[in-house]
Amino acid sequence: MLQRYWFGDVDEEGCRAAGTDPAELARRAATLRTSMETYVPIDWEVARDCGVVRTRAEYVDLLRAVCIARAREKIAVSYQARDVELLQMVRMLDELDNVINLLSERAAEWYQVTTPSFSRKYRSLPAKKMLDLVRRGARGGLSDVAGEIERLTGTRSRLMREVSARADEVLPNTSALIGGLVAARLLSRAGGLSALAKMPGSAIQVLGSERALFSHLRAGTPPPKHGIIFQHRRVHNAPREVRGRVARVLAAKLAIAARLDYYRGEAVPEFIRDAQARIDEAGVAA
Amino acid sequence: MIRLGNVLVSPGEGGVYGERTLDGYRVWDPYRSKLAALYTLGGGVDLAPGMRVLYLGAANGTTVSHVADYAGTVYAVEFAPRPMQDLLEVARRRKNIVPIMADANRPEEYAPFMEAVDLIYQDVAQPNQVEIAERNLAFLKPGGHLILMLKTRSVDVRRDPAEVLSEARAGLLRRLDVVEVRWLEPYHHDHAAIVCSLRE
Repeated sequence: MLQRYWFGDVDEEGCRAAGTDPAELARRAATLRTSMETYVPIDWEVARDCGVVRTRAEYVDLLRAVCIARAREKIAVSYQARDVELLQMVRMLDELDNVINLLSERAAEWYQVTTPSFSRKYRSLPAKKMLDLVRRGARGGLSDVAGEIERLTGTRSRLMREVSARADEVLPNTSALIGGLVAARLLSRAGGLSALAKMPGSAIQVLGSERALFSHLRAGTPPPKHGIIFQHRRVHNAPREVRGRVARVLAAKLAIAARLDYYRGEAVPEFIRDAQARIDEAGVAA
Repeated sequence: MIRLGNVLVSPGEGGVYGERTLDGYRVWDPYRSKLAALYTLGGGVDLAPGMRVLYLGAANGTTVSHVADYAGTVYAVEFAPRPMQDLLEVARRRKNIVPIMADANRPEEYAPFMEAVDLIYQDVAQPNQVEIAERNLAFLKPGGHLILMLKTRSVDVRRDPAEVLSEARAGLLRRLDVVEVRWLEPYHHDHAAIVCSLRE
């Protein structure tokens, strides 16, 4: 029975070596198809008798070189996918949000003790305005920090536009239904486009509300109606009674959209139009 | 296995992941590594020079590096690209590690690289852990051992870990003799080690 190994082919008549160049052997190995029913593990001495190597140490050395070359190739291919970078972009964006909030709160606390007359009560003071106030009103370290936070905020807005644009390109159908940013967040939570495309609508619906979901499964608390998709206006603007229905219908359409994005990779206008209509319909109170 | 006092260590070049060293040996922390926990608790199959090991779920190569300190040749299988990058770096410094990027669910992908091994060590976070072990028995010598680190939460978070364990044990008995079953408390929660040997 013919056995095809990384170093060559072996059968009753003998052995045909496939050379000793690691890159060449790695390319050949990628084409081998093995059936486990008839498979016999390698006896390294066959490789020696075949003339590929002289000693066990040489055998392991060459095998390692081939496997490392093959692994490098596979890693490169898996990073080529367009969604891989988008994933890192969204995660950085969410991390920036956290950091900016933390720093702003801390700066406000600090500013309050240096300025006894300052209070945020009874005045609308958005974070941006407050930071500007702190930067100009305070001195030294606090002023510097406020300046840095403002710069980070600028970085964040630019990154957000980049994420949106990239999501429109990588997830055209999903983005059309729910917006680039939320689509990118779904992608990040799922762990990649292929993972998202394999999820049922019911999983997409509660993506991001894992805590509530598992507490429901474990302890029987009420199940979550929506996770990340709550961030979409059609879900959070929907009247309470129909919000669950909107989330369910939207998630079901998103599951289809993700599959279109993964397997077709381009926007499908008919689908988007029909899906939008169906989601709008779900939002009308009965 | 080498113990200094009651500290498990392994011989070899240090500095792989910032591990402590003791008298020139690398400390192998039972709280970080499930295999170290098993040995610390007095169980498992001792690693020996010349031993051939198939390591499924190699991850960053942290535990793999300790196994390679003791064993002859280690075939380290990992599927995800990110940890694989780290594993390649570990394999570059340790000449007896063969890093394989493949899915342990699909042994046919790496069969052309494999010789028969004395020990299969499996630590994968998958729901079908027993099935994966069974598929890889094609690489195990008769009388060789399998150490399966059963992550009961990966099988089903909602079920009682003890129940998951007894089901896994029953599954393994189809082709293996179960030598030892041990929970890894207090080092790792809801993880059990199942040591088996392949019937001759």
